[in-house]
Amino acid sequence: MTIAPPARLEGLPEYVTRRPGGFYRSTNPSTKLAIAALEVVAAFLVPGWPGPIAVLAAVLVTAAAARRLRGLATIGLAASPIVGSILIINLFLLPGASDPIVRLGPLAPTWTGLWFGLQTVARLYAFSAAIALVYLTTEIDDLLADLARRGLGRRAVFVVGAAVQMVPRTIERAAEIVDAQRARGMDTEGRFWRRARGVVPLAAPVVFGALTEVEERTIALEARAFSAPGRQTLLRVPPDRVADRALRWAAVLALVAIVGLRIAGRFG
Amino acid sequence: MDLLKRWAARQFTTRVIVLMPVAIAINIVLGATVQQALKLPIYLDSIGTILVGVLAGPLAGALTGILANLIWGYLLPAPIGTSTIGPFFITAGVIGLLAGIWGQLGLFRPRRGGRASILAASIAVVLVGALALYTYARAYASPDQFVNITGFKTTDFDRSRIFFLAVMVVYVVLVGVALYLRRDVGAVLAIGAGLVTGIVAAIVSAPIAAIVYGGVTGSGTDALVAAFRAGGDSLYQATLKQGLLSDPMDKMITSFVVFFVIGSLSRRFVARFPNGEKAIGANTEAEIGANAASPG
Repeated sequence: MTIAPPARLEGLPEYVTRRPGGFYRSTNPSTKLAIAALEVVAAFLVPGWPGPIAVLAAVLVTAAAARRLRGLATIGLAASPIVGSILIINLFLLPGASDPIVRLGPLAPTWTGLWFGLQTVARLYAFSAAIALVYLTTEIDDLLADLARRGLGRRAVFVVGAAVQMVPRTIERAAEIVDAQRARGMDTEGRFWRRARGVVPLAAPVVFGALTEVEERTIALEARAFSAPGRQTLLRVPPDRVADRALRWAAVLALVAIVGLRIAGRFG
Repeated sequence: MDLLKRWAARQFTTRVIVLMPVAIAINIVLGATVQQALKLPIYLDSIGTILVGVLAGPLAGALTGILANLIWGYLLPAPIGTSTIGPFFITAGVIGLLAGIWGQLGLFRPRRGGRASILAASIAVVLVGALALYTYARAYASPDQFVNITGFKTTDFDRSRIFFLAVMVVYVVLVGVALYLRRDVGAVLAIGAGLVTGIVAAIVSAPIAAIVYGGVTGSGTDALVAAFRAGGDSLYQATLKQGLLSDPMDKMITSFVVFFVIGSLSRRFVARFPNGEKAIGANTEAEIGANAASPG
């Protein structure tokens, strides 16, 4: 079932009719999803260095052309704790590695561990960057509208859309509750046990506050005919050009090819 | 087929559709706080999933878990969103599915009783404890026996013994709190359900942690994985053992929390969900009297 776009666009406000502009940002969201899926599969299924390196290069070039390198850098920084953990654990503790770089008492970092760690990190970055590029270049509303046009039900669209909006609001509310409890004398910066004692007075209002909203939202949705049968009209539909479609099919075919080659053992 | 369709449709009423994003937000916000800020070796990121599972059913629970991890991993911007969590959507789905089954069995129903039922529950706990003690005595009688029964190596003997004790201690403490502070027998079943969920979750997530991340996920559990690998375990063994310590404790605590959340919500609110009636149970005469005396 496809959902009909509105027949007439004139008279609609500008924020509804405005098309996303710019390189890669104007590409159809489903096409970007297909490309990201291809990149993730390539990063994990092509063995050794070529897979992750090729994916990283492709993502970085696209991000630079779409002026989204800064966003990618933030995500790269956010991943640094896990990158540190991966490197340290593999450097010192890779089982079976016996080619030490240097001996430091009980510690013996190995070359095998270092390469294995670096490769895991490259895979992780390739995989995260490929997916991050989709949301850095796509409005969530556009992505959901495009998926709705392709038959994703309105319930699924609502759940995903509402969840994405609700997370920052819940965090804001949690911060307000922290302030309110501090004003009542709760210690949030003391020792571990003092902080741990504050978990219940912080978490309980967040959880119960969010749950009490469910009732009101249900009534509001039902009042707007949420569960009514029949088609919906989408106000805003991202364009799907011939080039978008061609790119999407190419990505899907390449993905199938990589999986096929991997199963057939052609990567060696 | 038609029956299956109706069973699925029954779980996705508008109320459940509205609860799901709320549950997903609770999962993500609490999970991110515990894992990234407090760095504890537990997760606490499935409170929402288990809540939906118990109130709405297995399919709704599984879908909530899957969507929560995918959204957390891939749709939220950097400081909150971490792509490391994404691949564990399979585990989250299994957790929601199990929670739905527990909910349909009525395991999360409060069973506030008089002395007789608390006595009965205490006897049941003593019996379970005796069984656990018997298992402990059999499996850990000597290192040889341990190897025979579990298939692990002799070197795991001590550590595994400490694990078993740690998980049992958490179980006993949670049950004790529920029985003596809240006088609620139902919590025993809910925490038991959490224990089973945790063991299944550990078995499901170990291969994911090993394959995708080389066992490292950037949270407090990394220290445990590092300790096991230093002990000479393979990657898969190390992540499985880390999971078998963290997951049962985490899911027992989570189930305990969900049990009290459901108990603290108004009965009218809970009863309107597809499985709501199984989560509140029948009123005893005494309770009806008490509710009438104290509104709200």
